[in-house]
Amino acid sequence: MLDVALSDNGEILLSGRFDASQVEKAKSIFNQIEKSSTVNFKNLDYISSAGLGVLLMTQKRLNESGQRLKLINMNKHISDVFNYAGFNLIFEIE
Amino acid sequence: MGKKFKKDITSLDLIFDYINTFVSTWQLDASISFSIRFVVEELFTNMVKYNRGAMNDILISLKKNNQNVIIGLVDYDVEPFDLTKVADVDITKPLEFRRAGGLGIHIVKRMVDQIHYEYENRNSKITVIKNLEQHNA
Repeated sequence: MLDVALSDNGEILLSGRFDASQVEKAKSIFNQIEKSSTVNFKNLDYISSAGLGVLLMTQKRLNESGQRLKLINMNKHISDVFNYAGFNLIFEIE
Repeated sequence: MGKKFKKDITSLDLIFDYINTFVSTWQLDASISFSIRFVVEELFTNMVKYNRGAMNDILISLKKNNQNVIIGLVDYDVEPFDLTKVADVDITKPLEFRRAGGLGIHIVKRMVDQIHYEYENRNSKITVIKNLEQHNA
């Protein structure tokens, strides 16, 4: 189960498991983002390509208006997935 | 051996429960656990999305020997689709030319040691091997 929440400082907090069954829930939040934002992965245990797709579509949409997502606090396994996908080249990750 | 799951994305919760039981039984580490979840989800959702035939349940099997975890998926009464022949995604393209399609299989190929595809009697069978010793080296 995935949980997507907005923190007081405007970060998007992901927690749980971002699998293919959670795409619509995630889209309902990510589709509302209109300016550069930080996505905090601290409590995210797992992501699949379905989750990568939501992030990619958001980044492409924001990029059209000069905005972008910054991704922080990934665990090593998720970081490996991002590297395999080449997402380290199209996202700011720290 | 193995367990059958309804050919629907809503099966993922039950599939993850099945994987968690396997991981706990063999006391596999977090990295192997992540890889098994990723591989099974990507292969299963690929079979669901492209639905190349009947809506029969999909058989998922997980096995372990001294060196490997062996993941198997069987999709019954379907048209063939050999994912080992799918071209790699160009991950160096700039953002505006990137697409999400194909990323899952692209990553699976990099995450595991061997992928085999067999098609017989209208059944598609995928076997994936993840080497534990190489992982621990």
